[in-house]
Amino acid sequence: MAYSVLIVDDSPVMRSFIRRVLNMSGFEVGECTEAGNGIEALAQLSAHRVDVILTDINMPGMNGEELLRRLSADGTLKTTPAVVISTDATNERIVRMIELGAKGYMAKPFTPETLRDELERVLGDRDAARA
Amino acid sequence: MPPELDQQSSLEPASTPHQPGRLDEEPTASDTIRQVASEVLEAMFFTEAELAACEHAWLDPARCAGIRFGGSHFGEMLLGVSAEAADPIAASFLGLDPMELTDAQRGQVIQELTNILCGAILSKLWPESKLALSSPELSPWQEWPDAGALHHCFVIPEGKLGISIRLTAG
Amino acid sequence: MVGISDCKVTRDADAVLVTYALGSCIAVAMHDPLTKVSGMLHYMLPESAIDSRKAEENPFMFADTGIPRLIDELRAAGADGKRMVVRLTGGAQVLDSQGVFQIGKRNYLAARKILWKAGILVAAEAVGGEVSRTTRLEVGLGRLWVREGGAIERELVRSNGAKGRNGNE
Repeated sequence: MAYSVLIVDDSPVMRSFIRRVLNMSGFEVGECTEAGNGIEALAQLSAHRVDVILTDINMPGMNGEELLRRLSADGTLKTTPAVVISTDATNERIVRMIELGAKGYMAKPFTPETLRDELERVLGDRDAARA
Repeated sequence: MPPELDQQSSLEPASTPHQPGRLDEEPTASDTIRQVASEVLEAMFFTEAELAACEHAWLDPARCAGIRFGGSHFGEMLLGVSAEAADPIAASFLGLDPMELTDAQRGQVIQELTNILCGAILSKLWPESKLALSSPELSPWQEWPDAGALHHCFVIPEGKLGISIRLTAG
Repeated sequence: MVGISDCKVTRDADAVLVTYALGSCIAVAMHDPLTKVSGMLHYMLPESAIDSRKAEENPFMFADTGIPRLIDELRAAGADGKRMVVRLTGGAQVLDSQGVFQIGKRNYLAARKILWKAGILVAAEAVGGEVSRTTRLEVGLGRLWVREGGAIERELVRSNGAKGRNGNE
């Protein structure tokens, strides 16, 4: 069963890094799409179904916090697990993102293996919830 | 003038004007910079950083980027990567051969490294603060001779790095 | 037995690949759970550029010549890169015969850099510290055992306890 993933980060090279981890991770990655900020992310999400969203916080236009706020207010999209991948590891931000529904939080820097472990955990939880 | 930051970030204007703090008076700031630089470079760039004595001739042709921050503390950070190190570390990050790199990727890796260092340093130094980061931008190196700025030079197997960080009036 | 600056590849399910005296050296153990094709490399130094003549004589002395060779030999023997379970052992900060302290961490980072470039993630590792290690790979079951210093041998499994997507720990 292939997972479709949306990567939201304003850095194209960070998106490449994350995409690379996904492809190396051993789980089946189907469609992997990218967005540079919250607005582009919402456009992608209205166009096709996604199994997991990986999102940065600090992005121009619409940031990750506002994106999560919009997702949690949307009847359909609020069930899609979102993992935050951010350089911001301040406590207030982490708490707020979790309260907004983030299922995981990866503070940069992280190793490729750590990101793989977190994705396995989140996807595993999602599969368990659906079973 | 306060830096322009993402309009969506939850910043409140300072209710009272204040003098910028001095990072060089923050007791753990130097150690934090050193520790975070090591963590970032090892985790995502697979290289080891050691503190080095400062001699700045290499910074003139270096690849540099700057980033501004706001929230509880306002300020800016500069990263300089020596010319000979820029391609190898970009290649390491992306898992490519240096010859495969595009010009765009070269710049974007320096920007992202600046972003990661700044956010991680500030999060570690002030974990209870509000933090917002601007988009990092490529720029030439600047010396900040003013008192209060913190600066460290590092040596990595690929070359050299320099990090400067200072608080500004909010 | 895999010696220092040495590498062995096998698909014999009864075989055990073992290497000793991993101080600052790194042992890279790879195992394809489907075909059982397995290999172990024990290298001493991160970069061959410091002595390219030696690297030609023995590519297994260096991470940047040894690891790609190991991967090539495994592929030639039928292993699939996407399936391979890779574990790292060693990289301790010891004062070894070179009189060098830092090489353990350099060796470890070199392995991670080269594996990242090759498109392979590490499944588990027992690295760092100041102990000498011995490691052995049971080819049939794909289990890796590590002995650290004078301690009892333990199995090296994924540290977060999560099952890998291919069903292996």
